[in-house]
Amino acid sequence: MRKLKLLVFGALFSLALGTCQGAWAGGLHIYAGAGLRQPVDRLVQAFETQTGQRVFIDYGGSGQLLTKIEALGQGDLFIPGALFYITQLEMMGKIRSYRPIVKHTPVIGVNIHQTGRVTTLSDLARAGIRLALGDPKAMALGRTALSILERSGKKDAILKNVTVYGATVKQLALYVSQGVVDAAIIGRADVFQSRAKIAMVPIAKEYFEAEIVAAAVLHCSANPVLAEKLSKHLSSHQAMAVFRQYGFLPLDE
Amino acid sequence: MSDPKTMRYICLVPTGLLVLLIVGVLAGLSIQLPLSRTLDTLASAEIRSALRLTLLTSGAATIVAVILGVPAGYFLARNAFRGKLFIDTLIDLPMTMTPLVAGMGLLFVLSHESVRHTLDVLGIELLLSPYGAILAQVLIAAPIMTRTSRSAFAALDRRYEQAAQTLGLRPRQVFIRISLPMARPVLLSGMVLCWARAVGEFGATLMVAGATRFRTETLPIAVYLNMSSGELGLALVCAWLLIMTGFGVLLVMRWIGSPLWADGPPERIGA
Repeated sequence: MRKLKLLVFGALFSLALGTCQGAWAGGLHIYAGAGLRQPVDRLVQAFETQTGQRVFIDYGGSGQLLTKIEALGQGDLFIPGALFYITQLEMMGKIRSYRPIVKHTPVIGVNIHQTGRVTTLSDLARAGIRLALGDPKAMALGRTALSILERSGKKDAILKNVTVYGATVKQLALYVSQGVVDAAIIGRADVFQSRAKIAMVPIAKEYFEAEIVAAAVLHCSANPVLAEKLSKHLSSHQAMAVFRQYGFLPLDE
Repeated sequence: MSDPKTMRYICLVPTGLLVLLIVGVLAGLSIQLPLSRTLDTLASAEIRSALRLTLLTSGAATIVAVILGVPAGYFLARNAFRGKLFIDTLIDLPMTMTPLVAGMGLLFVLSHESVRHTLDVLGIELLLSPYGAILAQVLIAAPIMTRTSRSAFAALDRRYEQAAQTLGLRPRQVFIRISLPMARPVLLSGMVLCWARAVGEFGATLMVAGATRFRTETLPIAVYLNMSSGELGLALVCAWLLIMTGFGVLLVMRWIGSPLWADGPPERIGA
């Protein structure tokens, strides 16, 4: 009986070890912003079916992923939520090539029960509005939001209404959908994906430059040709249709 | 195989591997630490604020956890009732939950219209405030205090309590004068463990209190924010502050000499 138990334990351990090894053997390793998960998952699945190659995706905050790539020096493709992160790696000589995919457009997400109170950017300065913004250092959209406020000329008045800063865009969207705050400056795609609970108020184009989502082939890639192929696949016309389904806009729109 | 020397070597290998793993992690964290900038970073307003907030919130959370956990542990140790197994398991549940999930649950409850209205009427501001951070830490730390207290009181020799009662002490007096002092070493170590857990709490705090610099930014949140903004040096200094705090806490535990952490097996208290 004891031998049998040992045997079962050994088999399970080997299986677990084998699975872990399998997860890191061959294929492509990509790092992608957590906010891009739904469209990227679908597109990568289609790519795997087409090519028969396995693709392992590591999702996380773009800044965290950047730190990981710097520290590890491994991986094939990097798809952050903003071009800023690719530029950072490019300056370190870690990017082989990159290809813009879609726009990450900032909008005002308003709790569905507060739509009467916030209809324009200026309304964010009204007394009693509870606003959430992204941390300007930790989040690309946090930086964008700050620059929008600066260009609006109402930065100080709006900042007075900020009740919380978030670390991820999904955290901000959750605060809005739950009514913890009345509004937040978040991505169009995040509002689109929670449209039952969050209403979208567009921001005038002169106040911001949309963030560009791009796929960058890393210099450390063990399979740059396949990585480039995936990058092409992610920026194809068919891919654009998938991104659009999740609220992202094409570059020319 | 039964040779004591062989046995010693067999045990030495896994011990060595474990030590190597931990030392490796610490070495990894030290290699990247920008020593020349450490003092400047420690003196920065953001780190001082994060440290102060961490100490304040974790201290308050520990006090609340003790107030809730010790009587709860005593109740569970001294009473048999229908559904005890269920309640006992339920109280342990937050220890197995991902703190992020626990925080999300708290967020959903506190943002519910009726709860929010009640809190507003009472003038209590929990969401997105340092008080929210305390509540999140209590949720994660109080079950540890309850579990420790339950074990401490269950291990007490009840004859002491019974003798005190026959000498005329009321149940409340027995608890304060007999049970609490006898269980003190284990309760103290439970308290320190609770505090250590509260100091390092991240997920639940992030959800309930947010990540507002200088307002709800505790040390673990400072690590996360600075990692996300690529300021690895700053993140590592915060991480080392947390590690040193943890190390200090463990040293205090050994100093207390709790049976939970002593070298030998736990003895029956009062036996």
